[in-house]
Amino acid sequence: MARNETSLEAAHASVKQLIAEKLKYLVPMTIIFMVGYIGLTVLAGFAPNAMGAKVIGSVNLGFVLIAFNYLLSWGLAIVYGRIAGSKFDPLAARAAMEISEAGKSR
Amino acid sequence: MTLTLGIFLVILLITLAITYWAAKRTSTTADFYAADSRLTAAQNGFALAGDWCSAAAFLGFTGLTALYGMDGAFYALGPLVAFCTVLFLIAEPLRNTGKYTLGDVIRSRMQTRTSLLAAIAGTVVVNFAYLMPQMAGAGVLVRLLTGISYDWAVIFVGVSMIVYVAFGGMLATTWVQIVKAVLMLSAGAIILVMILSLVHFNPATLFADAEQKYSAKYLLPGNYLKNPFDQISLGLGYTFGLAGLPHVMTRFYTVPDARTARRSVVWVMFLAGAFFAGTTLFGLAAADFVGQDALRAADKGGNLTLPLLAQYLGGGKGSFGGDLMLGFVAAVAVATILAVVSALTLSTSGAIAHDFYVNWVKRGQVEGRQEVWLARITAVVIGVLAIALGILAQGVNVAVLVILAICVAASANFPVLILSLFWRRFNTGGVVGGMTVGLVSSVVLAMIGPAMRGADALWPLVNPTVVSLPLGFLGAIVGTLLWGRDAENEQRFDAFLLQVHTGVTPK
Repeated sequence: MARNETSLEAAHASVKQLIAEKLKYLVPMTIIFMVGYIGLTVLAGFAPNAMGAKVIGSVNLGFVLIAFNYLLSWGLAIVYGRIAGSKFDPLAARAAMEISEAGKSR
Repeated sequence: MTLTLGIFLVILLITLAITYWAAKRTSTTADFYAADSRLTAAQNGFALAGDWCSAAAFLGFTGLTALYGMDGAFYALGPLVAFCTVLFLIAEPLRNTGKYTLGDVIRSRMQTRTSLLAAIAGTVVVNFAYLMPQMAGAGVLVRLLTGISYDWAVIFVGVSMIVYVAFGGMLATTWVQIVKAVLMLSAGAIILVMILSLVHFNPATLFADAEQKYSAKYLLPGNYLKNPFDQISLGLGYTFGLAGLPHVMTRFYTVPDARTARRSVVWVMFLAGAFFAGTTLFGLAAADFVGQDALRAADKGGNLTLPLLAQYLGGGKGSFGGDLMLGFVAAVAVATILAVVSALTLSTSGAIAHDFYVNWVKRGQVEGRQEVWLARITAVVIGVLAIALGILAQGVNVAVLVILAICVAASANFPVLILSLFWRRFNTGGVVGGMTVGLVSSVVLAMIGPAMRGADALWPLVNPTVVSLPLGFLGAIVGTLLWGRDAENEQRFDAFLLQVHTGVTPK
C-alpha cells in the first residue's frame, strides 16, 4: 500500500511537470497563430484598402498575409510534432508507467 | 451526364465493396463507433481530410473566390488554421479521455447525468444543423449533375449513407472518407497542374489577369463579407468551431494513442490545407478563363465553378476531355457529400444510442452485442429522418443552418469541452450554463440576423460567433460559480488530469 501511494504521488508530480512543460510551449504557439489569423481577419474587416497594397505584381498584401498564414500553420504543426515527441512524450510515458506501478502494487 | 453517372457508379461500387468488407469486421461496440481504435496516423489523416472537406469546401470555396475574390480565400484559410487549436489543445486530450463520443469526455470528467444530457444536446443540435444543409445540398447537386429529381437525389444519398453506417460502422465510414480524400486530392492536383501550365507556371499571372478583367477591387476584402465583424466571426467560428464539431472529433477515437492522434492532425493539415490553398488559385483561374458571367449563369452562388473550370481545362464543352473532367469532378463532389453525411449519421447515432440510451436511460447496463444492434438501428432511424428533413428543406434557405452548426459548435460545445479538460473548478452547473447560453444565443442571433430575415434583420451580423462565443464562455463560468464549490469534483480533477495527459487511469 505504501509503495502504491508513492507511485501515485510520483505520477501526479510527473504530470504537473508535463503540464508546466506544455504551457511553456503551447501558450506562445497559440498566441502566435491566433494573432496571425485573427489579426488578419481584423485587418481585412477594418483596413480593407491597406490589404490592397501591391507586393509582387498584382498580388497584394492581403494575399501575401493569407499565404503567410498557411506557411505559419504548417510550420507550427511541424514544430509542435517535434516538441511533443521530444519533450512531452517521455514525460507522459514516465507518468503512465508510475500510474500502472501504483495500480499493480495494490 | 452519362459519363458523370458512369464515373459515379464506379465510385459507388467501390464504397459498397468497402462496406461489405467492413461489415464482416464490425462486431463489437468498439468496432462500430471507433474502428477498434486501430487506424494509423496516415489513414486517420486522410479520413480527417475526407471528413472535414464538405461540399461547401470542395465546391464553395472555389466559387466564392471566383465571384468575390479575396473573401473566398479567407473562407479557405480558416479551416486549416482551425486545426492549430485542435492540434495544440484538443486532439490528444480527447484521445486520452474519450471512448466514442463528446458525451464520454464530459461524463468521465463530471460523472453526473445532467452534464451528459447537456453534451448530448450539443452534439445532436450541431449534427442535425450540419446534416440538413448537406442533404439539401446533395439534392441540388445530384439533380444538377445527373438530371434525377431532387427528392430521388436526397433519397439516394440518404440510403447510401445508411448502408455504409448501419452495416460497416466506423470502418466503412473511414474508408469511404479515405477514398473520397484521395479522389478529391487527385482532382485538385490535376486541375492545379493544368492551370499552372496555362500560365507558364507563374501563378502571379492569375492575379494580374483577374485584376485586369475585374478591377483591383476584386482582389480586396469585403466583397462578400460586408460587415467587418462578420470577417472576425468567420475567423473565430473556424478557430474554435472545428474543435466543437462532434463528427470530426470522433475521428480521434479511431487511433490507438495520443501520439497517433497528433500525427494524424499533422497529416490532415498538409492534405486538406494544400487543397484549400489550391481552391484560391482555382477560383481565380475560373474567373479568368471561364468568366464570372458564365459561372453565375450556371449557378447563382457559384457552386458549379469547379466542375465548369474542369470542363474548360479538359477542352471545353462538347469535347471528350471536357466531359471527362466535368464528370470526374462532379462525381467526386457527390462522393464528398456521402463521406460527410455518413460521419454525421455515425456521430449522431453515438450520441443517441450510446450516450442517451445506454449511458443515460440504462445507466450503462446494456450488453455489448445488444449495444451494437441498438447503434445500427439508431443509424437507420437517423438516416430516414435526415432524408425526410432533406426533402422538406427543398427551397428553404438552409444557409442559416450551416452558420448555426459552426456557431453552436464554437459557442456551446467548445467552451464546455475546453473548460472540462483544463479548469479544476468547472462543474455540472458550468456545463449546463455554457451549453444553454451558447446554444440559445447562437440560435436566436442567427435567426434574427440577415441570413434568415434578409433586409428585415433585427441585428446586422450573418454569423453571430463574435458575440455568442464570449457569451458561451460567460454562461459556463457563471454557471460554475452559481453551482457552488463541488469539493468531490475538484478532488477528482487530479486523477482526471492524469488521464488527460497520459491516457492511463489510476485503478
